[in-house]
Amino acid sequence: MSLSRIPRRLVHHRCCLTTHSNSPPTVDSALETISQRNPSLNAFVTSRVPAELAETAVADGPLKGWPVGIKANIATVSNSDTDVTSCGSHALQSYKSPFQATVVDALERAGAVVMGKTNMDEFGMGSKNTYSIYGPARNPHTSESQDKDSCQIYDCSPGGSSGGSAAAVASNMCRAALGSDTGGSVRLPAAWCGIVGFKPSYGRISRYGLVPYGSSLDTVGIMARSVQDVQQVFQAVSRPDTRDMTCMTESLRSRINTGSQSRPWAARLLSQNNIEAEKPLAGIRIGIPRECWVEELSASALDAWKQGAERLSALGCEIVAVSLPHLPNALPAYYTLALAEASSNLARYDGVRYGLRKEPGNRGPKELGASRKYAETRSQGLGAEVQRRILLGTYVMSDAACRHFYLPSQRIRRVIQTEFDSVFALPNALSSEAFEKTLLDWASGGRSAGVDALLFPTATDTAPPLLEGREENTAASYVNDVMTVPANLAGIPAISVPVGHKDRMPIGLQLAAQYGDDELLLQIARYLGA
Amino acid sequence: MRQLEKLLRRLPARGFGYSTASGGWRSTVGLELHVQLLAKQKLFSAASAKWNDNPNTNVYMVDASIPGSLPRLNPHCVQLAARAILGLKGQVQPVSSFDRKHYFYLDQPLGYQITQQFFPIGKGGFIELGQAEGLGHSKKVHVHQLQLEQDTAKSIHDVYPGYVLADLNRAGVGLIEIVTRPDIETAEEAAQFVRKMQVLLRHIGVSNCNMEDGSMRCDVNVSVYRDGNDRLSGTRCELKNLNSLKVIRCAIDAEVSRQVGLLTAGKTVEQETRGFDARSGTTFLTRSKEAAPDYRYMPDPDIPEVHISRNWVEEVQRTLPELPEMTRERLKKQYNLTKEDIETMINEPGCVSFFEQLATTRNPKRVASWVTSEIFGQLSYRAQRLADSPLTVAQLGELLDSLANNAITSAQAKQLLIEFMDGEARSTAELIKAYGWKVLDDDSLIRQIARDTLDKHPKEVSGYLKGQARRLNFLIGKTMQATKGQARPQDVSRIVKELLESASAD
Repeated sequence: MSLSRIPRRLVHHRCCLTTHSNSPPTVDSALETISQRNPSLNAFVTSRVPAELAETAVADGPLKGWPVGIKANIATVSNSDTDVTSCGSHALQSYKSPFQATVVDALERAGAVVMGKTNMDEFGMGSKNTYSIYGPARNPHTSESQDKDSCQIYDCSPGGSSGGSAAAVASNMCRAALGSDTGGSVRLPAAWCGIVGFKPSYGRISRYGLVPYGSSLDTVGIMARSVQDVQQVFQAVSRPDTRDMTCMTESLRSRINTGSQSRPWAARLLSQNNIEAEKPLAGIRIGIPRECWVEELSASALDAWKQGAERLSALGCEIVAVSLPHLPNALPAYYTLALAEASSNLARYDGVRYGLRKEPGNRGPKELGASRKYAETRSQGLGAEVQRRILLGTYVMSDAACRHFYLPSQRIRRVIQTEFDSVFALPNALSSEAFEKTLLDWASGGRSAGVDALLFPTATDTAPPLLEGREENTAASYVNDVMTVPANLAGIPAISVPVGHKDRMPIGLQLAAQYGDDELLLQIARYLGA
Repeated sequence: MRQLEKLLRRLPARGFGYSTASGGWRSTVGLELHVQLLAKQKLFSAASAKWNDNPNTNVYMVDASIPGSLPRLNPHCVQLAARAILGLKGQVQPVSSFDRKHYFYLDQPLGYQITQQFFPIGKGGFIELGQAEGLGHSKKVHVHQLQLEQDTAKSIHDVYPGYVLADLNRAGVGLIEIVTRPDIETAEEAAQFVRKMQVLLRHIGVSNCNMEDGSMRCDVNVSVYRDGNDRLSGTRCELKNLNSLKVIRCAIDAEVSRQVGLLTAGKTVEQETRGFDARSGTTFLTRSKEAAPDYRYMPDPDIPEVHISRNWVEEVQRTLPELPEMTRERLKKQYNLTKEDIETMINEPGCVSFFEQLATTRNPKRVASWVTSEIFGQLSYRAQRLADSPLTVAQLGELLDSLANNAITSAQAKQLLIEFMDGEARSTAELIKAYGWKVLDDDSLIRQIARDTLDKHPKEVSGYLKGQARRLNFLIGKTMQATKGQARPQDVSRIVKELLESASAD
């Protein structure tokens, strides 16, 4: 769908609905909200009807009765005929998964109630939720136009690719939602919709049942209105899974846990949920990465960043500047690797076993046979942006280009991982020698240099209007991910927390921590929000 | 004679000399063997690896590339690969990893094959060829690398006109690919190498290695060079899907002859992929270099590196049976068997152990002769493998003992063997009783029968007496027949000789 075909909409009636109610939504209230608001927000692309929900047995667990939304690229199984795992793609428009994702199983075991599937950019490829067969989801927050003459109010993008999940949570259609984050797809929409978006360490949550985009970067992410809600969901779904070989094993988890707990300065924060002290974050050291101060950063994002740092400082954190010299290389490296993996992961949509299948008709040379069928099926099944990314990904892995693009990007990725390791106090649990040595140092009373978390903006600016440019510049749109991709490249946890507004549109700030240090990160994040 | 010449000319180049040195040309050959592992489950899924079950019945999520499904490495396949590496005396790599090899085809549900392009699990190792393989010299053929990878699905053509069907049962079955260095010089060496590899991999339980059903497949790289030049100076062509030892031999010879023909005519050899047409005995172009696909190899992000400890390798080493090379030496030393008997037994899975269980308490030469002539005769008549025969070590042991104790004659023993191999479950003793067999050991009775027999054949007797020694066996045989096989041959032989001697004295 091209952008010019999205109808320009005036939405005065929604201005009054953006205030948050204090009590979290229940299944009943969520159903009510969905019926009222989903037609205009387009957050859920399939949703269960009350009759179906009434038949569903709800498990007795910590999330009992929580209405949740599931991004359309996470496999679900239900009695509902409309419960498709479409990934926002024509290729899988009516595809029903024969199995359910491990993470959804875990949610249901904890008592959560799946309300439906949420809108997204096709296969996770996009930052504004505009590349969806369902049309874009819309940001529940509305802004006054920059155009002072017309003084119109525009629909804004919810961000992408997990735009539907973000819009659903922000508008109380569910209490929490799952998204997927390959390069910021949970954190960017969370920031733009004014909610919390958490991308855990790579391997914390099983990817079994998450339809892959860039497998080495993909993580299931959690979105909710508060960090506490995110924490509860995270506890329910962060489990080892033998069906995903890249999911952290029990032994790695307990190793990390031991390391994490043995920091004397962080132990109190980790063990207590509500610290009433005047300076609850005393002892925590926060790094401000110089390289995040980029040209594209808007004044409001910069202000929010400064205020966030001041707030953490007031709560007892020590704020220091750190340097990650290769961070500027993260974006090109990310796009090379993610697209290379995407071209590989999406090769399976050939129409042979499932999904859309198209016959080539009389066009093209006959002798190509099967190739023509594949070409026709894929040309019609996959959208323009997905095709663009597959082509780029195919190119960077080709014999001729591999040495100039793919291999250097892998090297840059390793360098960035090493740089992150060098700024964090907690050593990377995957390099066992350094890990053991540091733990011994702490036991003898030493405190290593290095920070516990990094603070930087989630986005360079607030959500753009959906009608921003008639001709969208693809490369420029990729810049939206500049703040979010480093965490995916390094596999480290990162969270976006809403900290303020500009022109009624929310602003998010990001915290990131060492690989595996998810729990400390979440504890710090609780104090960041306004 | 002229017809024979014509016939010979139509045969493929084999035996006509290009393979060694012809007109100053020599050939260099390297092999790629794909070998299906004897694991119960697939390489990355828990589906059964029985690829010849009903179509599309052994298919799990990942085998059909269902979105969101993920591969899970089967440790048994890793172990089998390690066995193969150790059996070849190569090195199991402490760190190996999996890569994706991309191409679109019906037989590749994921759009890529998971293989080990960059860091294979095995490196090095060799197979030694020598006199045992009928070569006049001995040489080592080195293994370059050994990698784990997925088999493809089977595409079925021409069942439904206009459609190609896919059977995913084979998709994802574990294979090892063994790549040799270009150490091979002739078609005969190549065939012997493959044969020896089959024996080894069967022996250590890695694979059935049946080329006819595809559990072993062979691709060959062939180039030629002028005597005195660098062995690797020629442009190589790859021959794909050679499905028997005979085809390997013929195809290499045909390709060498084609390349020499091109070069002597002043043309050049293009790097390409070729197939072999057994009917015409020639190779044909299947893919030119320009059409060679770009597989876009990429480390598989779904599968972590495989780390293998030295302890684990030692553990696998301990479970390896004695390797054929050592078995040969030992059988020679310990039992003094002939080369032929040793080769026959080593090439039949389970046979050496079958033999040794019998031979420890019996005369090994006699056991070996029973095994290699009687039993193998029956097996080949029945087109059966020893492992599939109902015959047990205990049954044959009792049979041989009864024979040695003169409780039965060898004719009776052979009859019983056939019954055992037909599935007879009763013991030798029970069968002797059931048949009412007794050994005729009354010398006077045998002498009576022998005398009658000699009387019936006066021509043969007189012939013997005139010095025609070969008449003796005829007369012994006739006498044995007359005893209905109940007398012992040695008794009959002795008595017939006595009678003839007394006749000559007369």
